[in-house]
Amino acid sequence: MTKVADNVNPHIYEKGSEREITSTDLDEDVVDEIDEREVFDLIRNINDPEHPLSLEELRVIEESNIRVDNKENTVYVNFTPTIPHCSMATLIGLSIRVQLLRALPSRFKVTVRVTEGTHASEHAVNKQLADKERVAAALENNNLVQIINQCVATQ
Amino acid sequence: MSVWLKPSISQEIMNNKEIFEETQSIIADLMAGHLEITNLVENMAEVLTNVEAENREKGMKFFTKILKELPYDYLNETQVKFITRFYIDRLKDNHRVIPAVLEGYLTIIEMKHYDMALTSEFFTMLFREVTCQSQVRQDRYNIYNIILKLLKKDSQCLKTLGPDFLYGFISAMEGERDPRNLLFLFTFLPTFLKHISLGHLVEEMFEVISCYYPIDFHPSPDDPAPVTRQDLANALCPCLCAVPEFGEQCMVLLIEKLDSSLRMAKLDSLALLRESCKIFSAETYGPFLKTLWSSIHREISHKTDEELKMAAHESLSALVSKLATTAGTDQAFENFVKGVLISMQTAVAESSTVAQFVKAAKVLLTTANASKESCIIITKSMIPAIVAYYEFNPSAKLQIASIDFLGDLHDMANHWEVLNEIQAQTIEIPRLCLTAVSNPSKEYQIAGFKSLIRTKNLLQEDLVLPFIEVLIHNIQHSQDENLLSVSVATVHTIARKYPEMVMDLVVRGKCDLDNLTEDKAALEKRLNLLSNLASIDDFTKVIISEMLKMVTTYNENAPKVIEALSESMSDASLYTGQKLTEIESDHGLIDSIMSWILKELHTSSDEALSHGYKLISNTMRSLPIDKQQKILSNYTDIVEKCKKNEVYFNVLKSLYSPLNQSIYNENFEEIMILSVELALKSNEEKIRCQACVLIAHFINKVEYGQKFELLYEILKNHLSNYDSNEETMICQRLIVLYGWLTKALIMRGSDVFAFWLKKIMSALTTVEYCSLGAEAIRLIMEDHTGSSNTMFYTRTTLLFKQRMYENFASLTSNMGPMSEDVKEAYLVSWAYVLQNTSKVILNRDVAKIMPLLIESLEYDNKELLSVMSSVLCYYVQQKQLAVADSLQTLLPRLVKLTQYTKSMDVRIKGLQCLYEIANTYRTVLLLPHKQDVLLDLAPSLDDKKRLVRSAAVKARTRCLFRSASSVANSDFEKSVGPMRKLRRIGKICI
Repeated sequence: MTKVADNVNPHIYEKGSEREITSTDLDEDVVDEIDEREVFDLIRNINDPEHPLSLEELRVIEESNIRVDNKENTVYVNFTPTIPHCSMATLIGLSIRVQLLRALPSRFKVTVRVTEGTHASEHAVNKQLADKERVAAALENNNLVQIINQCVATQ
Repeated sequence: MSVWLKPSISQEIMNNKEIFEETQSIIADLMAGHLEITNLVENMAEVLTNVEAENREKGMKFFTKILKELPYDYLNETQVKFITRFYIDRLKDNHRVIPAVLEGYLTIIEMKHYDMALTSEFFTMLFREVTCQSQVRQDRYNIYNIILKLLKKDSQCLKTLGPDFLYGFISAMEGERDPRNLLFLFTFLPTFLKHISLGHLVEEMFEVISCYYPIDFHPSPDDPAPVTRQDLANALCPCLCAVPEFGEQCMVLLIEKLDSSLRMAKLDSLALLRESCKIFSAETYGPFLKTLWSSIHREISHKTDEELKMAAHESLSALVSKLATTAGTDQAFENFVKGVLISMQTAVAESSTVAQFVKAAKVLLTTANASKESCIIITKSMIPAIVAYYEFNPSAKLQIASIDFLGDLHDMANHWEVLNEIQAQTIEIPRLCLTAVSNPSKEYQIAGFKSLIRTKNLLQEDLVLPFIEVLIHNIQHSQDENLLSVSVATVHTIARKYPEMVMDLVVRGKCDLDNLTEDKAALEKRLNLLSNLASIDDFTKVIISEMLKMVTTYNENAPKVIEALSESMSDASLYTGQKLTEIESDHGLIDSIMSWILKELHTSSDEALSHGYKLISNTMRSLPIDKQQKILSNYTDIVEKCKKNEVYFNVLKSLYSPLNQSIYNENFEEIMILSVELALKSNEEKIRCQACVLIAHFINKVEYGQKFELLYEILKNHLSNYDSNEETMICQRLIVLYGWLTKALIMRGSDVFAFWLKKIMSALTTVEYCSLGAEAIRLIMEDHTGSSNTMFYTRTTLLFKQRMYENFASLTSNMGPMSEDVKEAYLVSWAYVLQNTSKVILNRDVAKIMPLLIESLEYDNKELLSVMSSVLCYYVQQKQLAVADSLQTLLPRLVKLTQYTKSMDVRIKGLQCLYEIANTYRTVLLLPHKQDVLLDLAPSLDDKKRLVRSAAVKARTRCLFRSASSVANSDFEKSVGPMRKLRRIGKICI
């Protein structure tokens, strides 16, 4: 019960500014494509399961690790666990997946992976996150859904 | 003969319940002198001394009831004494009798002739014979209440009762568990403790109180008027620190609970610490300071809990200001502040993000803000430290934050008036600001200038030149609005301190007006700066005369000059009315501008001219009445010119609309007729509008009584010429004019507005004019501040909008069924009215407004939908039940709004409404609709506009959470966090 967090004292980074609302955003006729920044904004405020910090502040996710292709309808998100043996990596990945599942239009195929070479059991985590069945099953577990909701709930 | 005059009353009380209803008649007899109280007691002897406890209870109850109903001064001293003794004696009786005795005693002490000397006897008997905690709630309450009443009546007497009484009291309340009784006890204990010295019972007393700390209590959900945990906690806090004797024990308790893992305990302890600083002496804290600081420090650096953090800040502040009272005599204070300083300095040095820096800085500011002495210590060491920090820290954001922090520290020192003592340290600040502003980045410059403005008094002469260099460069070349305005403000600040230098460097040097014209690009910005500087007395003369020279010589740049002047002069914080009056009388501002306008009237662009009009009306507005009149008399010919050519009307309006209420001259009637003609017949939309505004001004401002009647009659008569006019164009213009008239009249509180309002309402019912009618309603309800139609010096009665709302509502209720063609305009006009009515009214009339709201959501009208969904949002936020009742009708309509293609604003508002609904109402109400709404919202996630998408995400996630959050939401979950919970449910495989 008294196990301490995997990474007790993580390095904290500066929080980026909010996206500025430009005049094109307010123009009725211009179509705003979904871009990397928008996807980033969707997941930057997800809470880390161990610390009262957002994934952005821990640099688990960065805008440069996101790719969006509007024509192919794909979204790739790579995330970087703070330490290579982080036991929470799957949970973080799942939270990101769930948030995107809920917040992105259904036309997108979302792929969430651990950034290459940043986690000890990278393949296992990636495999789990890519397995639709397992994700769906996880979402039927009420306890797990509650935890994910707490992570996803914006502060 | 009544039964109470005979001994048979005893039998009556024992056997007949109805006798209790007749006490009033007994009282009447007693008052009238038919019966003596002694006789009554004698008659009751049988029941009062009956062998059956049940009967004695009845007797006591009956007698207590009589005592309660007697006037409090009826009984004389001997009688009261006799009865008191009797009651005290009865305390020895069976437990069944006690409640009535206590109740009776409570009544007796209220009596005028109650003898305090018997109090001691009462308490001895009470504490010996009655075990307080084995009584029922009400009786325990009565016991406490007796003590409170006696304390209020004669605290001196209670003091003499000594430790036995105190001991009795302590044991009486020990173990009290009822929240209401506790609340009562806690409320009166501080007073009690202040009056009665505790002697050797301090520890016992504290223990009895402190066992409740921290309060852990959840009121029963069925309780209609529950005592909340917070009530109890708030009441307990002052008890624990009621007297200085509690000091040491209180500190031990407080520190123990501060370290508790319960959030509530921490909050209560911090509140207690804050409260205790009002009572305990500074010495009390001495031995505990180290522990206290480490606890406070821990809470202050809490990562997420803002409330806890605030409480910790407040306690720290209270503690420091308490300790500061011993600053000269005791080392403890200084050590404590230095301790804070050192740990926070470390925190500042180690911070890698602005959030961490600001957190540490805030603690230092709190400490400095608490007392003068701590302010000196903190600022003395922090200012040099931060200056050094700036030099060594490479992060831009942190450097900027540190400059802001320096400004804060300086303000703090200024607040405690200790700037003189830290002169040696503060001298470095402006230099650092200069370093910051030398950086080309806009953020650095803004932060640097802002701090410089705050520390303006420290600026030395040798730094002025470099600052001015940067500033002038900014002003001439910067494109950023923010930076520009900060730069101008900085020059302004420097100019106030060093007028000569700025005069030489700026006005006669860099921005000299003579060579100004060559540099076209920077012209506007320079003019802005100069017109801003002109508000400082030393510069007024030079700059204004130069600028006006350009205007009167019809320089090609005159429009720019006028624009700059009009911009600056409309800023009331720069130019006060008095200043404008001075400028006008010294330089003839209006004359110069007017001569330019009259010359350029036919050639210049509308925009350039409008700046001129604005400048004139703004200046006119600031002038005193006699000056206004004088200027009007200078330009009487404008009216004639205006008759010939309508372009002069703008000039006329700029002169006449800002007039003071008391001004009235013979021209007014003529101008009024002229305006009406123009308002109806001019081909220029702008002129028509200006004419309406001027009419509204006249009608609104003219004095009550004869003058108003006269002007109003003229207007009404003139308008009656058009009554039978069938021309569509004229009718349309009339409706607009009616709108302005109604506004002017309702604002001044005149009842005749109803006449015009009815005309507008009848327009609402016709197909061709209904939309204009709605427009007129908008005119009436809208505020015009800031626009060219701003009304000056108007008579404005309070709540005129409410009045409009009431009238409008009653008129619409008489309108009967609407045809479909005019319904939309009708709803739109409702929307305008609702938009501007006070929220209180909206809440009151929710039943009336809801149907309109629901109906409006069906129409394809951008503005209507936008206003109505805002109102709906407001209702949801207010948790109006009417909305919850019609969720079934509302939700599909709101979902339809989220697909409204014509306006993103409507889509966003619809989504916001859905978000608020999901956020506000109980899960039970929402669950039936959840699945549908979630599905319906999916398309919005792929909306073409980003802002809509983000609103959709917000609304949709909220809906999703509603089912999940209902299960786990206790405080416990929050404090434990997801991590611990994860382990609690065991290993999870996904």
